[in-house]
Parts: sequence; C-alpha cells; structure tokens
Amino acid sequence: MKADRVPKADRVWLALAGLGALLWVIPFAWMAVASVREAGAGAPDLAALWPSGPFGWRNFADAWSAGSFPLWYLNTLLVCGGILLIQCITVSLAGYAFARLRFRGATVLFYLFLLQLMLAPPILIVPNMATLISLHLYDTLPGIMAPYCASAFGVFLMRQTFRSLPRDYEEAAVVDGASRLRIIWHVLLPLARPGLIAFAIVSVTSHWNEFLWPLMATSSPSNQVLTVGLASFTSGAEAGSEWGVIAAGTFFVAAPLLVVFVLFQRRFVESFTYSGIK
Amino acid sequence: MRLHLSATLAALLLAGGAARAATDIDMYFPVPVQGKLAVEMQKVIGDFNKSHPDINVTAVYTGSYDDTNLKTHAAIKAGKPPAVVIMSANFVREYVIDNEIENLDPLIAKDGQTVDQFESEFWPALKLNSTEGGHVYGVPFQNSTPLLYYSVDAFKDAGLDPNKPPVTWQDFVTDAKKLVKRDDGNTTRWGFMMPGTYDYCGWITSALAMSNGGDFYNTGYGGEVYYNTPTTIGAVKLLDNLVHKDKAMPEGVTDANAVTTAFFQGRLGMMVLSTGALSFVRDNMKTPYRTAFLPRALVNAAPIGGASLILPKGNSPEREAAAWTLMKWLVSPEVAGRWSRFTGYFAPRIAAYDLPDMKSFMAAHPNAKVALDQLQYARGWFSTYNVVGVRKALEDGVQAVLAGKATPEAAMAKAQQEADALLRPYVEQTALKVPE
Amino acid sequence: MTAGTRALNRPMTLSLPRPRIASSQALTAFALLAPSGVFLALFTYWPVVQVLVGSLRIQGFGGAGTSGAGIWGAGTWGWGNYARLFADAHFRTAVVNTAIYAAGTILPGIALSLLFAVALRETNWLTGVLRTLVALPMLIPLVAAAALFAFIFLPEAGLLDHYLGRFGLAETNWLGDPSLALGSIIAISIWKNCGYYMLFFLAGLAGVPQDLLDAARIDGANALQRFFRITLPLLGPTLLFVGVIATLNAVTQIDHVIVLTDGGPSDATSMMLFYIYQQAHQNFDLGLASAATVVSVAFLFALSAASIRRLERGIHYES
Repeated sequence: MKADRVPKADRVWLALAGLGALLWVIPFAWMAVASVREAGAGAPDLAALWPSGPFGWRNFADAWSAGSFPLWYLNTLLVCGGILLIQCITVSLAGYAFARLRFRGATVLFYLFLLQLMLAPPILIVPNMATLISLHLYDTLPGIMAPYCASAFGVFLMRQTFRSLPRDYEEAAVVDGASRLRIIWHVLLPLARPGLIAFAIVSVTSHWNEFLWPLMATSSPSNQVLTVGLASFTSGAEAGSEWGVIAAGTFFVAAPLLVVFVLFQRRFVESFTYSGIK
Repeated sequence: MRLHLSATLAALLLAGGAARAATDIDMYFPVPVQGKLAVEMQKVIGDFNKSHPDINVTAVYTGSYDDTNLKTHAAIKAGKPPAVVIMSANFVREYVIDNEIENLDPLIAKDGQTVDQFESEFWPALKLNSTEGGHVYGVPFQNSTPLLYYSVDAFKDAGLDPNKPPVTWQDFVTDAKKLVKRDDGNTTRWGFMMPGTYDYCGWITSALAMSNGGDFYNTGYGGEVYYNTPTTIGAVKLLDNLVHKDKAMPEGVTDANAVTTAFFQGRLGMMVLSTGALSFVRDNMKTPYRTAFLPRALVNAAPIGGASLILPKGNSPEREAAAWTLMKWLVSPEVAGRWSRFTGYFAPRIAAYDLPDMKSFMAAHPNAKVALDQLQYARGWFSTYNVVGVRKALEDGVQAVLAGKATPEAAMAKAQQEADALLRPYVEQTALKVPE
Repeated sequence: MTAGTRALNRPMTLSLPRPRIASSQALTAFALLAPSGVFLALFTYWPVVQVLVGSLRIQGFGGAGTSGAGIWGAGTWGWGNYARLFADAHFRTAVVNTAIYAAGTILPGIALSLLFAVALRETNWLTGVLRTLVALPMLIPLVAAAALFAFIFLPEAGLLDHYLGRFGLAETNWLGDPSLALGSIIAISIWKNCGYYMLFFLAGLAGVPQDLLDAARIDGANALQRFFRITLPLLGPTLLFVGVIATLNAVTQIDHVIVLTDGGPSDATSMMLFYIYQQAHQNFDLGLASAATVVSVAFLFALSAASIRRLERGIHYES
C-alpha cells in the first residue's frame, strides 16, 4: 500500500480506529503499571496510568505465594491439551464422514450435530453435573473435559476442509487397498493441517478462558484451573483489595495466551480468518 | 515388671507411629484480604505440620466466605469432604440442619471435658453460633463484630472532637452531616460509608436493627426472620435518610474496596467495617484513625461475625482425629493470639488475652481494645435454613432503598415475603409439623 | 493466506461417491460418527431429556437434594416447578435483563467490530499493531477481565472516575447503581468480544473483491454508498455467523456477573444463566433450575432452527 494512494477518508477512519485501539488497551496498561507499583491499597494515584514509583516485584511474589499458580497452570494445560487431543480424533472422523460418505439421514444427523453449537455446556450445567456424578467423573479433570470431547464447530470446520481437498490422493490410496482410517490419517489429515490448526487455536483459547463449567464440575482445590483459581484469589471477604496483587495475579493468568498471540500474531489471525469461513 | 511392660508398650507405639504414614488432611480457609493473610495462614499451618510429624495438613485458600461455603457444600455432596473448614459462623446452623457436619461433643468428652467446660473457654457471645440445641458443632476461630472507624483528620477538619465519637444514632447522623464536604456539586468527602454488597449488607443491617432494639432473627430456630418489623424498618430508614435526605452517604451500593479506598484517600469521615479489617486499615491508612462502638438507638449491640472451625461428615476416624488435633491447636491461646494480632480479628479464646504478647499488643493498639470491649454487647449472627437466599432477600431490599428505588417500608415487606417463601419448606417440615 | 484458505475458495465440484463402495458407506459413516455421537448423546441430548424430566419433578425439603444424582430421586410429578418459575419475580427480572444484555451487546458489539474491521482492512504494520491491540481482550479469560474492571469501575478512585473526574464527571457508581450496573456489565462484554468479531469480519472483507469496490469508486460512489451497497450485502453470511456467536455469548457468558456483582444490586445484573446457577448451587432447588434450563434450551432451540440452515447455506455458497 502506498501512502499517497490512501484517500483522506480512509486516513480519518484509520485515525479513529487507532484511538479506539488505544482505548481498548487501557485496562492492560493499568494492569502492567499496577502490578509493579509497590504502594498499597490507599495510594492517592492508584488510578494513574503514568508510572510513578516506587516499583518492584513484591506484588508478583505475593500473588505467586498466595495462589497455587503452578498447579493451576498444570491443570489448565492438562484440560486444554486433553480436550484438544480427543477433539482432533472425534472431529476428523466425523468431519470425514459428513464430507465424503453418502448415507441415509446424513443431513438430519448433521443438523443434530450442529445443535451442540447452540446447546453449549454452560446452559446444561445442571443435568451435566448429574451425569458427571453418575459417571464418577465429578471433581476430576476428565470431568471438566468430557462435555467438550465432541465439537460441532470442529466437525463443521473439518467437513468444510475435507470437502475442499482434491479427491485424487484418496482415490489412489483406495485403489492401493488402504483402509479408510489409514487414508484419513496418512493422506487427508496432513493436507487438512490448516483447518486443524485453526480449530486448535479456537479450542485452546476458549477452554483456557472458560470459568463457569470448571467451577461447577470440580470442588477440590487440587482440581482448580487458572480461571477458577483467579476468581477465588480476587475475592476478599471482609476488608478491601490489594490492587497490585490482583493485577499481578491477573497478569499470571492472562500472560501465556497474550505472549503466544503476540509472537504468532499472523498465524493466529489467519487461523481465525480460516475458521470463520464466512 | 510393670515398668518393663510400659516401656515395651511405649516402644511398640513409637515403632507403630514411625511405621505409619502421616495422616493427610485438608483444610479450606477464606481470608478477608488477598495476599498477606493467605500467606500467613500457610505459615501457621506449616508450623503445625512441623510440630506434628504424624499429621500433614494442606491448607487450601477458597476465596470469600460465600465461596468457601459453596465449595464445602459441593465437596460434601460429591463425597469428598475436607477435614476442616474455617466456615462463616452463621452457616453452621444450616450444616446442622442438613446433617452435614459432626457433633463435636464426643471428641470433647474424649479429652475429658464437658461441653460446658469447653464452651467456658470462649467468649460467651460466640456460643449462639457454635452450638445447636446444646451440642457443639463449631469451634470459634477468627471472630469479629462490626466496628465504627473514623478519620481523626476529617473529624478535626469538620470541627468535631476526635475524642468524642458518636454514641447514639442522633450523634451519628449529626456528625455524618458535618463531615460531608462539597466542592461545587462534587462531594470531596463523605460523612459515612458502609459496604452494601451481599453478605456485608445483611450483617450491618442486622447490627443496626439490633441496636434499634430488635432481634432480627429467631436465635433458637432457623425458620424465622424479622424483616418487616419496626426495628428493622427503622434501621433501613436510618440509611435511607443518610443517603437521600442528608446526602451524607453515596447513593447505591458501594463495596468494601470502594469504602476502604475512600477512607485511605481521605475522602471519607466514618465507615463501618469488620474488626477483621483492622490490620488491613492499619497497614494502609496513612493518617490517624480511631475505632468506636457502633452507635446505638436503644441499646449497644453488635452481631458477631467471622468464622468457626467445622468438621464435615464423611471423614475417616483417623482424619477426624487429626482434624480435631488441628482444631484444638488453632484455638490454643498462643496460636489464636498470633492470628488475632496479625489479622485484627479478636481471639475467641479468653485465655489468649492473658499472654504477655497479647497484653503488650493491646496496650499498644487501643483500636483493637475497642473491638474487644464491644464484645460484652455482642449478639448472635443471623443464621437460618438456606441462609444465603434468606439473607439475599433482605439485601436486595436494602440495596433498592440505597439506590432510591424503594421505600424502607415497601422494601422490608417484600423482603419478608420472599424470605418466608424460601423458609417455607423447612418450616412446614419442622415448626408446623405437629403430632397428629 | 494459507493453502487451506485458497483451497476453500476454490469452487466445489460435486463428486458422487463411487458405486463400488456405496453399500458399505452407511456402516462406515456410523462407525466414524460414533465417537462424537457418544459424547453428544451423553452431554447434549441426554441432558435435554434430563432437564425435561427434572423440571416436572417436585422436590421436597430434605429429599434428593443432598444426593448427587438429584434429578432422578424420589418426588411427585407435576407442573409445579413451572408455576413457581413463572411466578418468580426474580426469574422475570432475569429474563428481562438477559434481553437487555443481548440487545446491548449484540448490535453495538457487531457495529463496533465491523467499524474496526473496515478501518483496519488494509494489511500493513500499523493495522497489524492496531488489530493486535483490539484483539487482546479476547485472549484473556472473562474472569480476568472482570478482575481488571473491578478497579476500573471503582467509584471515585477507579480508573474511569479518576480520568472522568478531570472533566467534572466523577462520582459515578458504575456497578453499585442498579440503573447503571447492567450497562457496565454490557460494556465489559463489548470490550472483551469486539476483537473476536473483528477477526471474522476481516476474514469476510477479504472475500469482497477489490476491483468491484474500485469500479464503484470510479463510477462516483462515495465510501458510505460503497459500504452499504457492496460490502455489507456481501458480508451477509459473516454477519449471520457473528450474530449467532454473539447471541450465544450473550446467553452463556456470565462469568463477569459472578465475579463482579453476584447478580446485584437488587437483581439488576441477574440473567437467565445466573438464575439457573443460583438456584442450582445456592438454593439447591433443582426443580426450579431445571425448569429455567428448559426455557433457555427452548429459546436456543428456536434460534438454531431459524439460523442453522441459513448458516450452513451461507457457508456452502461461499465455499
């Protein structure tokens, strides 16, 4: 894009968007400043975004020792990783079936699958809790994962992806006598990588950030994930808040995805572009 | 021979003790302020583990009192009860009604004490929330009452004598009005603030109703509350006037964060907060402040607050024994005193105040002494069946009044109706179920 | 653009499967669908049956409430839970609040994100940075956003009042005034989701042919005309997709309510899902919680029926 070709109106829009983006980032700016500001709860310049000292890492140390961050990180990683692993299997298989196979009731079944897009697990917390308890999965990490092991969104995405792939390779493999699973695994999935990556990003982002279901599905603190830990961490009972400690704790929870995003920004945006499929 | 036998026994016991793995138990705890207090609790438990090699306690921070309650209920229902919970004292009755916690009488008896002897070691005001029908269900651990905090500078600036805090409601309203400072339309200093969020709101309202001569709830039975009564309506009216007539208190609901921040920044003359906030205020308030009794209409009164140790049902006898050891250690005069000095809660154990450490602390901190002195007027803390829901009925009403959306009379009539509806299932199965 | 995107944009050829393998296809298909099907049955279809049944079971005090699998415990049957639900003023408030919340988050959220997308549609380093800034909130948990906004909304001392105070607009009790609290909660949602929707619109805009816009410009169409006559109609499927996601978010995301206001003050921020959560977790009233869930499910079911076919068709046309 050459600057002299940009019409004036577009530049005005760009400037407005720039202002908007700055407004959008203010909460993060405050988080950064507050987490290193040592002055406690009563400082008169609590809200000032312009850094004024004294600065230090005490808030981070306090937050780290007050919460069980290593445990929360580990649990969150296990949950997100476990969900993703199972989802990749379930959505690839189902996506393939809907993309390539013709059978009676395919359309009806497909719509039945898509229902899950709407009937999201948070809405069904009450019956899902009962199911977890009868499966002896209540208060376990697999219990948090279970409702997400099938993904209508993933099936949908993989169906589109498979449909867009040429059939030549598969047909050659079929002629060679390869089984269908082998075909999916060795031929189609490597070709469908962009779709899977897009799905992985959406999946991990949403489960990393999920709160209500893990809150309901677990009770022992040893099964807490980051969001649940942060929520109990930020709620004091009787007095007031150490804002610096809260900011530092929030930073710990938000940091991993933010770092990954900034590092792989292009990839991320492309994946969302891809998964949106308009 | 006898000597020989007992030596053998002792050796056997020792060997057994060494061979047996330590009993693992977990304890849920809430704390009033993030960060420091949670860290300190971990230190306290670390000391316990060091001095008790046969027990290994994991202390788990579970958030606010209400969060801790939710998590404990959920864990019990899922068959994974924690061994000890530091539970908001007014929830104990509901756990008894639901048959979810252990009666502690047998454990007390095993130590060779009667229930009365055991209870006599704690401040009498705590008895209402730790016993049910004469049986002990909770051991008071960190206790509080609502307290009036006021800024000395604000008092001086408003021409008030900081040595004469308000004693009656009349003084209180007069002082609150004088403390307000305005700068063309903007209020630069409020006369009074209190947290109006769920939990705190009900507690302070009950304190005002009690000092207005009321009882607020039936201390002996968990199915009755007194919202639509002159004493409670009067308490809500007092707040309504402070907000809407005198403009001495901001409209709407302010949370504890907003109240303490305003106090620290010199934008507030008086506030009501728990004694459990004493250390938080001490650490953050840069200018002089004092504490005083809650102002009275008819009588001095303040409900107790804070938390008791409970032992949920469903634990193995080994875990129960370990839990009881931990509970007794936590309320020993030394530990209770240490926790009290660190937090601002008063120590429930009377003997804690006879220790030299505690005596010098009380001499150095007159504010903590006010909290202790108020104990002689302390009452039980609102506790019923479905206590959170029943409390919320009142709080929704008070919040509506604070926001100018309802009159005290209408709000309390509605609150009473809602509370009665929530209590109905319990009432029908208990008080209304008479022999046929 | 990735290889996959390019592949997606290629016109689809409708190729019929070979007759040789057709006979075994149904069986294979069901085998491949089975893993997903099991989980869907357990956690989507079965729960719907469960809430339907549970909503018809009347539970007494001290009944199944203490056992885990409450819905199937003992009790009498009838419409009592629905009668209680519709008589409950708290439920009515929750429904109204959900409607306001949906209206307040969906339309402004979509409009704002579309504006961002249109303004940032060119790809260069500057728009890259700005897109990142706008997209950041979608990456943090709503609970974390709530923790930050707890301070931002703090009356007088908080970020918002601190800076508004310089314009003489201090002393707003953002979360404590029942008339403002829901609006504040809406603002958090818009801030949080705007970047997410923007990414979808950016993807949609990439599909709007530049030569069409250039031609219109040469014909003298101004920016507004180009946007409303060309861009917007071509974005139809994206709009529908984002609209559905936004509706779902409005119904299912209440984390910030739980952390910040607990539904208060005076129920001002209580919503359908919060009501369900409260009945199930705080009052242990599974009958009422189930009945409320059935109402929500019915609404979402209607929404699905209205949108899924069109959604699918939209995507089909595009690919």
